[in-house]
Parts: sequence; structure tokens; C-alpha cells
Amino acid sequence: MPQGGHGRCSLPDRSAGEVTRRDGPKTAKSLSRLRADAQRNPVPPTQTHPDRRPVPGRPNTGTGQEPAIRTVGLSKSYRHPWTGRLVLGVEDLNFEVERGEVMGCLGPNGAGKTTALKLLTGLLKPTRGSAWLLGEPITRAESRRRLGFLPEQPYFYEYLSGIEYLEFVGQLSGLHAQDAHERARRWLGRVGLGQRPQLVLRKYSKGMLQRLGLGAALMHDPELLILDEPMSGLDPFGRRDVRDLILEQRELGTTVLFSSHILPDVETLSDRVAIIMAGRLTRMATVGDIVSGSRQRVEIRCAGVPLLEVQPELRDVLERQDHSHETVFMLHDDTRLNESIDWLLRRGALIRAVVPQRTSLEELFLNAAGAGEGSKAEAPADDRRSA
Amino acid sequence: MTVPLIARNTFREATRDRVLAGVVIAGGVVILGTQLLHTLALGEGRRLTTDLGLTAISLFGLLIVLLVGTSLVAKEIERRTIFNLLARPISRPAYLVGKWLGLSGALWVVAGSLGLVLWAVLAVRGHAAMGPAVLEGAYLAGLELTVITALAVLFSALSTPVLSALYTLGFYAVGQWSWDLREFARQAPGALRSTLEVVANLVPNLPVFNMRALAANGEPTTLAHLALATLYALAYSGCVLALASAAFESRDFK
Repeated sequence: MPQGGHGRCSLPDRSAGEVTRRDGPKTAKSLSRLRADAQRNPVPPTQTHPDRRPVPGRPNTGTGQEPAIRTVGLSKSYRHPWTGRLVLGVEDLNFEVERGEVMGCLGPNGAGKTTALKLLTGLLKPTRGSAWLLGEPITRAESRRRLGFLPEQPYFYEYLSGIEYLEFVGQLSGLHAQDAHERARRWLGRVGLGQRPQLVLRKYSKGMLQRLGLGAALMHDPELLILDEPMSGLDPFGRRDVRDLILEQRELGTTVLFSSHILPDVETLSDRVAIIMAGRLTRMATVGDIVSGSRQRVEIRCAGVPLLEVQPELRDVLERQDHSHETVFMLHDDTRLNESIDWLLRRGALIRAVVPQRTSLEELFLNAAGAGEGSKAEAPADDRRSA
Repeated sequence: MTVPLIARNTFREATRDRVLAGVVIAGGVVILGTQLLHTLALGEGRRLTTDLGLTAISLFGLLIVLLVGTSLVAKEIERRTIFNLLARPISRPAYLVGKWLGLSGALWVVAGSLGLVLWAVLAVRGHAAMGPAVLEGAYLAGLELTVITALAVLFSALSTPVLSALYTLGFYAVGQWSWDLREFARQAPGALRSTLEVVANLVPNLPVFNMRALAANGEPTTLAHLALATLYALAYSGCVLALASAAFESRDFK
């Protein structure tokens, strides 16, 4: 159980994909059920975490436990109520999220992120395919016992106070009344709403509701968190708090699957990133893998080069940008850094700084989205919709 | 375990709604207002007060069902508050049953409160002995409202608040005439007869809960009738909720 007074933890190297895990004993009953499920639904090749390793002092979950999330051919399509035409939601999602992993879900509006999350949480019924949460098929309500879910733009019962709401949802997730009350107080404080626990929710601001939703998702100490746009509607302080909460849960070994449009947050928080385009999972990899596959750019900041033109051999990789107080040479291929610096020094330039410019996830995502747009063009423009 | 929690929350929702308080006050005012007619009733004041009072309990209860019950589930879907519940280990049938129980509980409180007001009015007029008949009438009104609430939950789970209010009102109106409908069916020719019989069997048999004429005479109904009415209300509500659950089970929440 996460305690209200957790200290902030130092973070392991994200790009290395190192994770801590929460491991609980598996009952013989659930194991036999999982085996039966596995026999009924053989798992096709999935995109699993490439560099997971056991954490010292903890059992290696990779050897025996079911993944936190497993989907097999998960698909959702809708029938248009008037035309009867089939509308694609998501198509053939096959992936696994390991226990203790934080996975960010990226995709443009209407790509199918929310549809995928709602399928996992039982709010939508799959047209085809299957999925399991912590080894339980999503068709069973029990699969959601150890799940914490924050929907996009959460709405609450306006007639309840913050503490009443948390007590209510805590008990719905199986907590006893007294335990729910204590945790509700603690979590209200933890999400910054503890000063006025009896304030009714109709008086909450959007940011306060988002915080409350996060508290509600965490109230019962879930092993799996599914968060749909957890940072939306929050100011920078709220975003920082939510980021810290996710990181804290990660340190506790909670598995987190979240979608976000805020790419730096996805980059900071995620062990792996899943990119969904036009209802299909187009890529799934560690942030490190995605970013390291791109060419590195380097910014060389100089002074004393007013009339210097880039020599012909470097023109294809070195670009001059004049600013009011300095000249910046943008090198598009870091393998030619020494050559470029030699040339600048020979020409009498005063080099003030050499700054590597890592390609951001945002640029890579936009590139991928551009490719996705191309493929989408083949389909009619209106055959997609966001849930 | 989850059903009582959802029921309690629904009860809390209904009782914190100003609509319910307003309707209870209006019902109380109508019951008190019957005293204005007392002097005009030519010695039938007791009968008039009892009859109008019990009718007011039924009609004001129906008003609550139409105003609150028919949007019970639809409003949750529209406002997306349902996401926070169904993403937890709650089955959809348990959710619907909890909703039904919660609102039914609130309606029992309304029927009981107005029944007590009616009894108090009669007692002030020197008819305290009417108590058992009035309470039985209020009990039957509560059962009737429980059945109507089940229908409201069914329609609310499947359509918009306006449509479900219309459907619920339609079932209530036809249900009040179900005995006449059945009688009419006996005299109707072929296909019309079968159709009317089906309709008469589908709509709730609400005259079972109408013992107002008896109560107005101060005559309590039999225990057997009360037991039969209770069983019928539970059976009919159970069937309606089973139908609602089956339809709700496959519903998507976008």
C-alpha cells in the first residue's frame, strides 16, 4: 500500500528500460485458469520489452507471471447507426506490457488510443480478439479488481464531497469502510486536496477534478494503472505532481499504461512507447531505441565569424544560422563533428559551445504520424473515429 | 457487496436532489390541502382525505420516477460518471440492480413520509383508527413505485431520458388499465384479441396495488393480498431488470 508520506525516489535510467516490480503470490486457481486461457488462445508473436532484466532481491517476474496486460488480435469496430457502415476503432492489437513497466501510448486524435484503453477497462466490448489484465480475461469484472483507471476528462458525482467520493470508489474496489476512509483522507492530501475534504465536487476546478481522479485510481493500491491523458487540463504544477505520482508508482512496481499528447512527459516517464496510428499499433519500443535510431545533430555556437562561408565539403551537413549575438552552425551528422570544429578553428572562429541536439520523441512521432497520414489517405476520410 | 454500495450512493443522489425534497413538500401540501374540501364533502371527509391522500402518494412518487428515475442511468452515461464505476470490479447487472434499489429506497421513504403525514391529518380529524389502512395503502403505493422504477431503469439504460420518461409513463398508464384491457381482449375478435392479451400481460398489473377504495372505507386489505402483491412486484421487477441487464451487458460506453 502506498503511504501518504513517500519520499521522492531517484529515477533509474529510462533508456535502459530498467524497472522495479511488484510481485505477488499467484494462487493455484488463477494459475490453472491462466494455463487454460493460454491453451484456448495461443498467443501470437507480440512486441515484448527487449531489455528487461531481473531486479536484484526480487523475483524475476519474466519467468512465471503473466504480463500485466496482454492483448491478442484485439479489435473494435462500430456499425454506423444510420448508414450501417462499419467504422474502424482499433484493429488487431497484439502487445504485452510487463509487470512494473511504464508504457506511454502515443497517437494523433482519433488514432484509437482511448478506444484501446476503454477496451481494456471493459467500457467497450471487443468486436474480435481477447485481452487479459494481470492474467484475468477482461470479460470478467474481476480483472478490474487490481486496476486503477483514470478516464480522459473525468466526471464525478457533483453531489458528493471529495472524501465521500474516494470512500465510495475505494469500497467499490473492495476496501472495507474504515480502510477506505483512512485511505481517502491520505490520498486527498497526497493529491493536494486534503485541506477541504468536505467540499462538494461541483465546486472543484478542472485541475482539482483531475487530481481527484488520480487519487480515485490509486485509492485501492492497484497493481495496474491505466491513465487516459492524465496531464490534460493541468497547469505546469499539476503536471509535475502527476508526473511525480506516476514515477512514484513506478518505483513501487505498479504497471502503468497511459496515453498523452504531451510528448516530453511520455519521453520522461515511459519505459516503452506504443505508437497507434489509424487504429493500428505501428511501433512499440523503448524511448532509447526509438531515439537512438535517429541521426544526432550538434549545435556549434561561435563568435568572430562574420563573413565565413561554409566550405563546399561540409555544405550538405553544416548549416549556418546568424543570430544577433552569435553565429550558430547546425551540424546534421555528428560523425563529422571533429572535421567541422577543425575547419572553424582554422578559420579563427571562437567556439563558445558545442551542444548535442538529440532528436526528440516529438520529431520522431511527427515523422511517424506523417507516414501514418499517407497510409490513411488510402482509406475514406470518415472511416475513423475516436471513442 | 457492490450492489448495496451503488444502492446507497443512488439513494444519496436522490435524497440530495432538490427535486425529491420539492416533490415531498408538494405532496404534503396537497394532503393538507384536502382539508379545504373536507367541509364540502358532506360527511365523506374521511373517505375523501384518505382517497386523495393515497392518490397523491402514488402520483407524486410517479413524478419522482419520471424526473429522477428515467435519467438514472442515461445521465450517468451522458456525464460519463459511469466510467468511474464500470472500470471497477462491478458487473453491469449489479450496477443496474444497485441503481434500482437505491431509487426504490428513496421512493419508499417518500411513500412512508407522505403516508405518515396523511395519517397525522386523519388523526387530527379524529380518525386515528385509519392508521393501518393508510399504511397498507402507502405500502402498496411503494410496491407500485418499485415496479415503475424497474421499468424506468430498463428504459434509462437503453435510451435518452426524454424517451424513457415517455415509455415509463406509457407503461404506467396502460398498466393502470390492464384489467380493463384484459376484459376488452376477451370480447375482441381474433388477432386483436391476441395482441391485446400480449399487451395486457407485458404491462405491469398495477390495479393489484390499488386498494385505495378499500382503505378509504377504513378496511384493511388481507395479508394474502399484501403477500401476493409483494411477490408480484418482486417477480415483475426481477424480470424487467434481467431484461435490462441483458441489453446493458453488450452496451459500449464511448
